[in-house]
Amino acid sequence: MYNGLIDYFNRFIPLSPGDFEIMKEGIELRHIVKKEHLIKTGETEEYLYFISKGLAREYIVTGKQEVTTDIICEGTITGSASSFLGGGPSQYNIQAMEPVTAFVMSKHSLEKLYRADDKWERLGRLLTTHFLLQQEKHILDNIRYSVKERFLNFLEEHPLLVQRVSQKHLASYLNIKPETFSRMKKLLLTKLPANQKRK
Amino acid sequence: MNNPIQKVTTRSLEFITEYLQRYMQMTKDEVELLLQYCELRYFDKKEIILKEGETDNYFSMVVSGLVRKYIRVKKNEVILQLATEGHMVHSETSFLTRTPSLVELETLEPTTILSIRYDLMQEALAKYPNGERLGRLILTRMYIKKDERKHDRAAKTMKERFLEYVTNHPHMLQRVPQKYLASYLNIKPETFSRLKHLVKEKK
Repeated sequence: MYNGLIDYFNRFIPLSPGDFEIMKEGIELRHIVKKEHLIKTGETEEYLYFISKGLAREYIVTGKQEVTTDIICEGTITGSASSFLGGGPSQYNIQAMEPVTAFVMSKHSLEKLYRADDKWERLGRLLTTHFLLQQEKHILDNIRYSVKERFLNFLEEHPLLVQRVSQKHLASYLNIKPETFSRMKKLLLTKLPANQKRK
Repeated sequence: MNNPIQKVTTRSLEFITEYLQRYMQMTKDEVELLLQYCELRYFDKKEIILKEGETDNYFSMVVSGLVRKYIRVKKNEVILQLATEGHMVHSETSFLTRTPSLVELETLEPTTILSIRYDLMQEALAKYPNGERLGRLILTRMYIKKDERKHDRAAKTMKERFLEYVTNHPHMLQRVPQKYLASYLNIKPETFSRLKHLVKEKK
């Protein structure tokens, strides 16, 4: 049951079975039904979620429009990060798009780990670095790449997600107009044989 | 150690201590010990600190002055950050992953930055008391800023972004050329000008 979680953390630092026993004390399993929110704008985030199964999206509401700012799938950590870390109200919503199974850790449990051993501080630093770099990549990609390039990059990096995420949310996430998105999808998916989708 | 800081002026030490205290409690002695791993770098106005394609060897904080971080896209430059006193500024991706930088850094004023070289940072993380904790807290704050900025961009109107920025950073209108501020806020230069007049008339 914990395999995905163990593999995830082992990418950052080697953790012994004993370390995982300690970590597990602060973790609980949670099931979230489709469409349920993990957090809403204005609430304070108390948890970090490791998504073991399912799919979620992060979005904000501006005027009457929803903008999808992230798509979160299995094997990643989510939560309203700046609220969790900084203590202020969440700027955004996170909603399950499929039934989600997640391991959750409270702020209290995380702080307890940090106090217990420097190794958890190290893991925390490496995870924070990872999130920071992902965020930077997203920001730079949006500036550097054209609409078409963003679409192709996403296909290449997440070939399976295209089937799972609704077109509306994906277009919003990639900052592509829905009409353009749909035209591009048709063009690219019908014209290119499967083995040529990769650059 | 290459060019370690043996002595910093009392005033610089006070500044640096104050900035670092935002992350965790540190005594002046602890700050001085940390400075053994760091170096102060001095730049003139309009000096390039980092070029596209170079690997950023330094994790840096502005002690005084102003640095712009930007990316070249075709013939344009897009401003990603305007870093003043106490701000961290470097190519995060290049420094942390040891790869050529996509972004460039240039000073807009004579600037002093406090830098720690990559290898010495690894050493400090391992040896300096609470090094990992300080590292995590600094990165956490950088991450929060980035996360907030990403969502501000998506959630706020141009006018809101403009007003919020000039309210929170009134001195920047004087310190930074308008075209850079406009680029940073993702507002067209003409629109920026118009918004600026709006604010002046209100006052």
